[in-house]
Amino acid sequence: MSTAMGRLVRTELKLMTRDPLVLTFVFAFPIVTMLIIGGAFGTDPDPAFDGVNPAHWYVASYLTVVIAATGLVMLPVHLASYRERGVLRRFAAAGFPRWSFAAAQLIVGLVTTAVACGLLLAVAAPVYGIPAMHDWWRVAVALPLGAVAFVSLGVLLGSLLPSARSAQAIGLLLFFPSFLLGAGGPPPHVMGSAVRAVAGPLPLTMLTNAVRVPWLGLGSATGSLAAVAVLAVAATALAVRRTAL
Amino acid sequence: MPGWAAAATMVGMTERDVVTVRGLRKAYRSRVVVDGLDLDVPEGEIVGLVGANGAGKTTTVECIQGLRRPDAGMLRVLGFDPVTQADRLRPLLGSQLQDSALPDRLRVTEALDLFATSRAGDRGELLAQFGLAERRRSVFSSLSGGERQRLFLVLALLNRPRLVILDELTQGLDPAARRGVWAAVRQLRAAGTTVLLVTHEMDEAEALCGRIVVMRAGRVLDTGTPAELVDRHASRATVAFSMPEVPAALLDHLGRLDGVRDVQRTGTQVAVHGNRQIIAHVGAALVAHGRVPADLSAHVPDLEDALLRLLEPGPGAAEPGPAAPGPAASGPAAPGSAASGPAAPGPAAPRSATSGPATPATASHDLIGGRR
Repeated sequence: MSTAMGRLVRTELKLMTRDPLVLTFVFAFPIVTMLIIGGAFGTDPDPAFDGVNPAHWYVASYLTVVIAATGLVMLPVHLASYRERGVLRRFAAAGFPRWSFAAAQLIVGLVTTAVACGLLLAVAAPVYGIPAMHDWWRVAVALPLGAVAFVSLGVLLGSLLPSARSAQAIGLLLFFPSFLLGAGGPPPHVMGSAVRAVAGPLPLTMLTNAVRVPWLGLGSATGSLAAVAVLAVAATALAVRRTAL
Repeated sequence: MPGWAAAATMVGMTERDVVTVRGLRKAYRSRVVVDGLDLDVPEGEIVGLVGANGAGKTTTVECIQGLRRPDAGMLRVLGFDPVTQADRLRPLLGSQLQDSALPDRLRVTEALDLFATSRAGDRGELLAQFGLAERRRSVFSSLSGGERQRLFLVLALLNRPRLVILDELTQGLDPAARRGVWAAVRQLRAAGTTVLLVTHEMDEAEALCGRIVVMRAGRVLDTGTPAELVDRHASRATVAFSMPEVPAALLDHLGRLDGVRDVQRTGTQVAVHGNRQIIAHVGAALVAHGRVPADLSAHVPDLEDALLRLLEPGPGAAEPGPAAPGPAASGPAAPGSAASGPAAPGPAAPRSATSGPATPATASHDLIGGRR
């Protein structure tokens, strides 16, 4: 890849492997918390978890934690930091098209998500086992759609937030409630009605439903899948509009 | 050559001009930063852009590079419009930007790989020329301030540009490194590369630039060679000495010497002001009176004195006039021209137009950090 875009993507992928925020938050954090919480509720089928093995419930949920960490924390901080320090101005002055930064981040975000998900499953397999995928095509549609939605959201946030510190603050503020209520926290059945009402419409809850429900054979979650598709289209359109200057 | 055909209609533009700017205006919200600026940069010359902080220098060169969209005015750079033809222009430009960086964990050789196009020259030779050969494996965050500046210069020159824009070229460099960078810039000129240099360092401007454009409040205040600017704005020389008791006859003699404008006496200190010839006349007068002070000193004005006088606020300071049409603002100074003539009495420019940080982080920004 000798085009400006190709050189940028290749460099950004290399830099991603040297970034402590990516290595800890996107790769290590989901694996460690999945191992902890997956072991906390045992492996016996439980009515609170729709009658399935709690460890398998969390294995099927944590791929979306990787996606959210990439989109809500890693990308906004990365992009805002680049802009704040003048890295993007230097790239622009050197002839890199403005859209190429965003496109490169989109590709890097998707690759990061794919690698981190693979690593998470590789760690989960010998510890808890990987649950059988009942409705694989819905999962296969929901995961990439969700990745596009959150990565686009990350690019959008990174282009809007004025500094790396504000991106980190806002990103963590968005990530942790989403993580606890929509993917890595207690199952909806043990939540109070008010908390469940708040958790229900969160984008990460929608995405987790669209992945976990068909994966574990608990239903089709067509509504959640449609919501994720709408989010993916809207976030991508907004990110493109914001970055194609 | 459509870019040239369009540009040829611009008043005062010549075929030798690499950069032609007419009536450039740029405001950030209500703050006008560049206000009707005209500028010409002839091919093969080093042109310096100088002025106080907030004069609009960096915004001007960012518009020239197509990094900011002007509110009004016409720009032609190497025959291209920087706004609509940036993709064709950028490969011909090399730039070293003020306040910019590279990713912290990017190695020097990786930076060269990232920025190199098919026009790139010998990377090893460039790294060696700027003393970075030993640091090729180092990451950007581990480089010293001087090494970073030298790396930016290497990147600016990497693709053998026709026009090089250097903003605060030697910021953070030690004196030896500065001389090395100056030598490299002179080599560029010898090779026929045009250089537009933004600087606060008057010795740098004096050493490198064939022509200097002085800006204040977004306008061209004056332009000329360093010698022309000194002659116009800092022609006074000062001879100073101390003498416990100055004979009245000596004071009277000094005051009547050719070229002397005034003699100031403060306590035991005496300062004689006038043209450069008074240095010889005052010396001769002191010898004639048999009073040669041990601390006799002469101060000859330089470009910094000229700029300080030209840019000083308050009564007597030069005031940027309305934008002068054609080459007057950028060619040799035209007597009486508001934009290029000598300093004229007038009120100081509004401070609100010249002060404040260049790029406040809280301002509305676009993707790369330019304010809208």
